[in-house]
Amino acid sequence: MSVTAAPGIQERRPSALAITRRVLARVPLLQVAGVFALFILGSTTISGYQSASSVRSMLVLATFLGVAAAGQTIVVLLAGMDLSLPFIIGAANVLVSQLYGGDHWPFWAVAIFITVGALGAGALNGYLANRFDIHPLIVTLGVGTAIAGGILVWTQGNFTGAAPSWIDSFVSSGRETGPIPLPPVVVFWAGFAIVVTLILSKTAIGRRLYATGANQPAARLGLVQTRRVWVGAFAASAFCAALAGVLLAGFSGMGLYNIGQPYLFTSVACVVIGGTSLLGARGDYVRTVLGALVLIQIQTILIGYGFDVAAQQVGLGLVILVMVASYAREPSIRSRI
Amino acid sequence: MSRAGALLRSFLLGRAYSFAAVLFVALMVANLATIPQFVSPANIAGTLAVAAPFVLAAIASTPSVLSGGGGIDISIGPLLGFANVLFISRLLPNGLGGPLPAITIVLALSIIVGAINGFLVVVVRLQPIVATLGSYLVLSGLALELMPQPGGTAPSWIVRFNGSFAHIPGALILIAIPVVIWLAIQKTAYYRALIAVGGAERSAFSAGVNVALVRGLAYVLGGLFAGFAGLALTALVQSGDPTLGPQYTLIAITAVALGGTSLAGGRGGIAGSILGALSIFLIQNLLSALNVSSYWNQVVYGGILVVSLVINAQARTLFRRPASLVRGPARVEPT
Repeated sequence: MSVTAAPGIQERRPSALAITRRVLARVPLLQVAGVFALFILGSTTISGYQSASSVRSMLVLATFLGVAAAGQTIVVLLAGMDLSLPFIIGAANVLVSQLYGGDHWPFWAVAIFITVGALGAGALNGYLANRFDIHPLIVTLGVGTAIAGGILVWTQGNFTGAAPSWIDSFVSSGRETGPIPLPPVVVFWAGFAIVVTLILSKTAIGRRLYATGANQPAARLGLVQTRRVWVGAFAASAFCAALAGVLLAGFSGMGLYNIGQPYLFTSVACVVIGGTSLLGARGDYVRTVLGALVLIQIQTILIGYGFDVAAQQVGLGLVILVMVASYAREPSIRSRI
Repeated sequence: MSRAGALLRSFLLGRAYSFAAVLFVALMVANLATIPQFVSPANIAGTLAVAAPFVLAAIASTPSVLSGGGGIDISIGPLLGFANVLFISRLLPNGLGGPLPAITIVLALSIIVGAINGFLVVVVRLQPIVATLGSYLVLSGLALELMPQPGGTAPSWIVRFNGSFAHIPGALILIAIPVVIWLAIQKTAYYRALIAVGGAERSAFSAGVNVALVRGLAYVLGGLFAGFAGLALTALVQSGDPTLGPQYTLIAITAVALGGTSLAGGRGGIAGSILGALSIFLIQNLLSALNVSSYWNQVVYGGILVVSLVINAQARTLFRRPASLVRGPARVEPT
């Protein structure tokens, strides 16, 4: 908000703290520092943490999370939330193995089928939430459950077949991409991140998304077709989830219906740790990428310290609370009147 | 329109939970037509015992949602699971398994967890879903830590809640206590402050309401009610199981939404949540009685949920007076 000084009143210089706040609101310096700090913590306390193979596998894991959370970022910018993510990841994962490996469809047909299905499901999410003003959290849960059930009905719970072998090598952490010493899927993620970031920051589509997220009635008066924005955002979210599901098929080897479950809340955590506001319109995908790098490192470090699954969960919960409390607090109501 | 018709119409439009009530009655009729024995005097206590953790989890999820500001408590499920595991794995072996110490400790602990959630939301000022995601992870981790495998045996006094006490189903008693607490709260200024804060926090703040305290207490209430849900779960499963709790979170939030409580806050109440939870229970009851495969069960459940939400929203918007010049929903307020 810009304040014009009244005549006669000398404009006060902003304090150093205010300037820092303003910079941090624009540039995710703390998150970058967090990624490096965790890396230093890991490499000094866990042997082999900084080895090429360990870094590569962390990056592959971060890719799955980051791709899945891309869609979550887009809907969070609308102050929405997409809980159909794990179901769509699971559905895409099962479908790619079943249709390609089990039913011997050509891969392009599988890809088109999954893309159309995901876009349709996502568009339905966005349409229902916006048209009927139902909280997206609940709509996406209902649609997601129905889709997951549909997959189970169709396959009768028998998951056969495997994903194409090139996906396996594409996501394998041992592979390198030509001269680049990184697995192909990580290079793909870098490209994906650039495309998403450019769309969000440089295109009219991105502007409409932020405008709608900031103030829907105002955006509508500014001739933004806000319902289309909602439909498009949730369709994009479902597409990203499906993409993550297909990539995960290379990782899991076979169709796993439950493979998306861990992404239900971690995708939200990833967005929030990055510093994107759940209230909408503030944040971007770069932050989510950093959030994914932070989250995967925390998990790796907790495993490296020898914590069992239970203690890992406790640790993750505490770390999320501490990190978010240190930089993503909401303004006090006093300052919102 | 006849007088009865006008009454019906005003009922349907006047209450947030009217659609949930209609849905409940319809599902009840369908259930009675298919499996009349499920509410027979011999079975009613058992049926209610199965439904009780659902219903109580939905009640527990309501105050935080009502308090607005993106209010939601996703730690309710893990909390009731944690209460169950704590009871079986720690209280029982240490001679604290009797009714008085066990109930006191479980409820006190649930209140403390609720207070921590409230603290995180109003003092640390985290987004409620993030704050309670933290407690979700911590509580489900702690439950696994206390009890890596399901096991143990619940004492007989709590198992008796599956049956009846002098013809009153035990589960009904467990549900009735939070309901009575809520009804008492509804008579107080706190309730009006809660609705005011949930509906328009700035106006409430300007009018001198202590927004932080009111909102924080909503999470404490949720914690307390989750404690009762933990007791109901213990009575039902008659043992400790660290994996059950988290499954209740999403179903409880769904029940709240189905009950007509606005997830934006300030509108609704536990009557809707109870009807919503019972409706979900009746859907599942009916589907399993009809021998529908568990696969179809999910499709039908998701479908009914979405259709119900749409009808609910339609009923709400159709008869609402235009609130602003600009048509359509305004979800985010300018800051």
